[in-house]
Order: sequence, then C-alpha cells, then structure tokens
Amino acid sequence: MSLLEFARGPAIHWSLIILTVGILWRLLGVLALTRGADLSRPRDAFGNFKGYRTVFSRSWPAGEFTTATMFQTSVAYVFHLSTLIVVFGVTPHIEFITGLTGWAWPGLPNAVGVGFGVMALGSLLAMILRRLSKPAVYCSNTGDFITWVLVALPLLTGLLAFGHLGARYETLLALHILSVCALFIWFPFSKLMHAFWFVFSRAQSGIVYAHKGVRI
Amino acid sequence: MTATTTSTPAPLFPTFEQVFQGLSGQIGQLRELAPKPKLPDKERVRRAIDVLIEETNADEAVWLESCIHCGQCTNACHYFQATGEAKYAPMRKMELYRRIYQREIGPFRAWYKLTTPKIKLSHLEELQELAYDSCSECGRCTMVCPMGIDTASLVHHLRSALVEAELVPPELATLHQEQKYRRTVFGASGEKFIELVQRIRDHYDMEVPLDKPQADVLVLSSAVDLVGNGNGLLATAKVMNHLGIDWTLCSDAFESANFGLLSGDMALWEKLSAPIVDAAIRLGAKTLVIAECGHAYPALRWNPMVKGGELPFEMMYISEFLGRQAQHGKLKLRPLQGRVTYHDPCKTGRRGGAFEEPRAVLRAMQADVVEMPANKEFNWCCGGGAGIFLLDDATRLRDESFRIKMQQVEQTGAEAVVVSCASCRLNFEAGRVKNRWNKRVESLVELVAQQLDEEMAA
Repeated sequence: MSLLEFARGPAIHWSLIILTVGILWRLLGVLALTRGADLSRPRDAFGNFKGYRTVFSRSWPAGEFTTATMFQTSVAYVFHLSTLIVVFGVTPHIEFITGLTGWAWPGLPNAVGVGFGVMALGSLLAMILRRLSKPAVYCSNTGDFITWVLVALPLLTGLLAFGHLGARYETLLALHILSVCALFIWFPFSKLMHAFWFVFSRAQSGIVYAHKGVRI
Repeated sequence: MTATTTSTPAPLFPTFEQVFQGLSGQIGQLRELAPKPKLPDKERVRRAIDVLIEETNADEAVWLESCIHCGQCTNACHYFQATGEAKYAPMRKMELYRRIYQREIGPFRAWYKLTTPKIKLSHLEELQELAYDSCSECGRCTMVCPMGIDTASLVHHLRSALVEAELVPPELATLHQEQKYRRTVFGASGEKFIELVQRIRDHYDMEVPLDKPQADVLVLSSAVDLVGNGNGLLATAKVMNHLGIDWTLCSDAFESANFGLLSGDMALWEKLSAPIVDAAIRLGAKTLVIAECGHAYPALRWNPMVKGGELPFEMMYISEFLGRQAQHGKLKLRPLQGRVTYHDPCKTGRRGGAFEEPRAVLRAMQADVVEMPANKEFNWCCGGGAGIFLLDDATRLRDESFRIKMQQVEQTGAEAVVVSCASCRLNFEAGRVKNRWNKRVESLVELVAQQLDEEMAA
C-alpha cells in the first residue's frame, strides 16, 4: 500500500470516524448534564427569549470594544471565511465530498481557490504572530499551538500540492490528506469544538442576562 | 450644587468622609479575627472539588468548554487593564476550574485523570487571589467574549469551592462567620437597629415606622447605615415620608448585606435571604425595597433559590423604587446645580438591569447629567465590588483599577459622581481621598433627600 493509498483509505476513514464519534461524545457528554434552575422572577415575562439574540449579535463586537478588538476580529473573519471557501469551493474537495455524500456543486476557478488558501494561511500567520507577541493577553497553552499547527498544515500542504512544489505530487497529496486526518482526529478533543459551543455558550449567557433585562 | 434650605436640627450623624475613616479602622481589625483553617489539607481539597462537581451543570460545562484563548476578555477587565499582568486575564481565572471539570465531570474525564496532575491545596491557595482579590464578578468580560462566556458566574462557583477549602480571604471570612453564627455584620444587631430608628425619631421628630403590619412597602437597611452612616437610613425615611408611602422597617429583617453571597457560601446566602422573605410575607408587604447595597440586589431580587414568581410581593432596589416614583411624576425634587455623572454599580446595572430608573431620578431633579464614555452595560467597575473593598491584599489592584474609573469621570467634566451602592461609594471615597481627587461622591438616596421639594409635594 502506497502512502497515498493509505491516506485515501484507512487514514481518512478512521479519522472521519474519530471525528464524528468524538464530536458526538463531547457534545452529548456536556449537553446531557442537568441545567440549574433560576427561580427568580424574570424582569419581563418573555424577556428570556430575547437572550437568543446574543447567538447572532455576538458575531461582531459591540461598539465599546470595536477598536480594541478590530485586529483580532477582522483577521479571524478573514481566516474563517477564506478557509470555508477553500474547504467547500475547491474542485478536489467537492469531489471528495461528492464521493462521501453524493452531493455536488460547481467549484471555484483554481486561481481563486489558491487566492483564498493564501489568505487563510496568511491570516493564520498573523494570528500566531500576535499570539506570540502578547503572551499576557493570550495565556496560550500547548493545545493552542498544536491546534494552530494542525490547522495550518492542511492549508500549507494543500497549496504545495496544488503548485506541485517541493516533492512529487502524489507524496504532497498524501501529506495533505494525512494532515487533514490529523486535524480531524484532533478536532473533537480541542478548542476547535468552538464551532459547536459558540451557539450554546452565547445563548446561555444571553438568557442569563435577558432574565434580568440586560441585553449583552 | 444647592445646599438644603429646609430648617432641620443639627446633624445627628457623621459625614460620609468620617464614616469612611471609622469603617476603615474596623475593616483593618477584621484580619486579626479571621478563623483559622481546621480541616486537614486533603479534606479541604476534597470538599472544594465536591462543591464544584455539585454546582457544575450544563451551563457551566459549556462555558468551560468554549474558551478559545482569544484574549478579548483582557480588553474588558479593569484589573488586567490596570496591571497588564497575565494572571489577571479573566480566562486565566478559569484554568483550575476547567481542570477539575475535565478530570471529574467532562466527557473525556478518564483521559484527563490519567494525564493531568491531581489538584492540591497549593493550587487552591493560588486561586484565592484570582477568585476574590482580582475579580469583582462585574461581568464586563462577558460583553466582549466572542463565545459569550459568563466568567463572573464561574468565578462565583470558584468562591463556593474556596469556602469549602477554608480559603476565604480573612476579612470576608470574619464577616462570613459573624453573619453565619451571630446574624450581625460589624456587630450591627437588631437592638442597635431599633436604637438607631429611635434616635432618628427623637432627634428629627420624624415618623419612622417599625414592624408595621400591612404596610405596603417593607424597606431594608444595611450594615453601613447601622455602623456609621445613619444618614442613609435617615434619607430613606425622609423620602418615603415625603412620598406619602405606607412603609415600614422590620426589626428582625433589616439587613441587606449578605456575606453568604459575597464569600461564595450558597447555603448561607439562602439562609440569610429566608428571614427577609418571611418578614415581607408576615407583614403583608406588597413591595420589598432593598437598600443602597449593591450585592444585596442579586442576593434577594435575583436569588436563583427564591421562587420569585410565587411571592406575594415584588422586590426592587431603592434606585428602581425611586425611579418609578419619578417616572410616575410622584417624586418632586428641587433642581440640582452643577454637572454630575452616574456610576452604574455592576450588581444593579450590568448584572441587575436597573439602568433607567436611577437616571429618571436624576432627571426629576433636572440634573445636568453627562454619561461616562463607557456606561450602562459597558460601565467599568470601580474596582471594589463583590467584597473586594474589604480586602487588604487587594489594595494595589483596587487603587490601580480605580484610575480607569477616574479617567472615565474626568471625561464627563462632572463635579460629582452619583452612586447607588454603599460598597461603590466607599471605594470611590477611598479613591477620592488617596488621589486627592476634586470630585464629590454622592449617594442617590441622600441626594434625593437633600433635593426634596416639600412645597411642590404639598
């Protein structure tokens, strides 16, 4: 079995299984816990429902913090959006997803895909440089750096494979797929789970404060 | 600002500056009276972990899971902004809680038990500064967190754990013990309260109802009033009488302060709330008014253990009560001269939702109110909330973070800061004296009493 066959075969299959089971295990393990009851009388009868707004409103910082968080917020948006476009917009990725699910959609022109890949990697670099330059602000731990490396590697190897740079295409493609496998395996055990938690966390706080008539 | 012109007897009580000086002396003695830990180290750690397990529900678990170490919360924390020290970053305060959660409750606990070190007493000892001295549970970090994590709630659970580990800071521990076993704060007993009421009645020839059945409004006092600032209770009585409210005080339910809440002792929090709720029911009050004591608002009004919806009375903070009177045109006040700004106490503002009512009171006295650049939900804590004003070890943090507040006030050009919380007021007073600050610090209730317009009311 060649490296590429291994990557396309057992590696990707097992990593997808770990990803799915791990995410479900972590979500259920938390969400199945009981919820504490707040018996105090809400400020207004239906006020608590207003708390759900926070799930959406917290997508951009409040005016009070816009200046202080501008760099972080902008770069994070560039990273998330360009990564999303690369993952779902590049033809080889669409073909992979089609193979798994049968779903298909038109891919982006190659140059556009590469452009977004470079933007994603560039924004990731900007974020790590800022993290390293302000240790007191970020309080980074080992998990933060592992996550960064495992998110950066698929972007880097994908660009290298696309450009046929540094090694044989088959080797680069195998490394790209293996780096994605590593990301899938790491995902459920890391802070990457914020992809799910943000909905619950924002909603909870929104409700806690809305109960008292405060919009956050 | 205009001075009161009504003819009143000579002042019975000291000025707030004198009260502050006296209280500072008393606070200084608290450390010496603090109880010493009695339990073996292992037992203290076990109890702390057990209480966190008990208090951690899905909400707490989600918040603990959600942090991405993005560092945004540091922009909002006055202690971090004032010092720049990594350990005061709000997310850092959660690290030990997260570790305990991951080892004991989290979905991957088997893995974390194998790979993370056991919790030791030394870890909890280090936590004391983070959960008490450097977090006033003001909730400002929640306003910026992209995940919306409610760090203040998590810190409160940490305080509960530290109560079990016998690691409450000495000043809070002394008052916690006093209120737990003697039901007094700074020695302010029921007898002293009755004596204070009588002194006000005698000196000012004023009606101050006590234990009056079927009164519409039951009004609470606070330890600060009892141990020095009688002007607080005097002002409340004047305003209530001026409004023609059918009100009363209660001799066995008068204390707003709750050192169960402040220390993190949930059982004591509940135990101290119960007699007040019972008294309001017994007296048949329709409204319970909480004195200018910021944390008393969440202790009673937002007490998650009291079924508020089933109570035959409603609870509100004194600024809310006065604000509603003003909004209904019942509070007739003389115009206030000079520019003022209003400081939202964290516990009644961002953590309580009483924003508009105190401002309505200031509007009723046609005050020239200029808001601070960060106000209402975004208000900066004064640095002394959640019991921190009492802590000697937190002096540096308090002093440095207060400078942020001073800058905020300076930008308004106000001559005075109006506050509606005894703790904030004491902290402002301390800051004012230390910095030789040329601003006045006014209590909302006392300002209202000063501006009452008897002719207009008549």
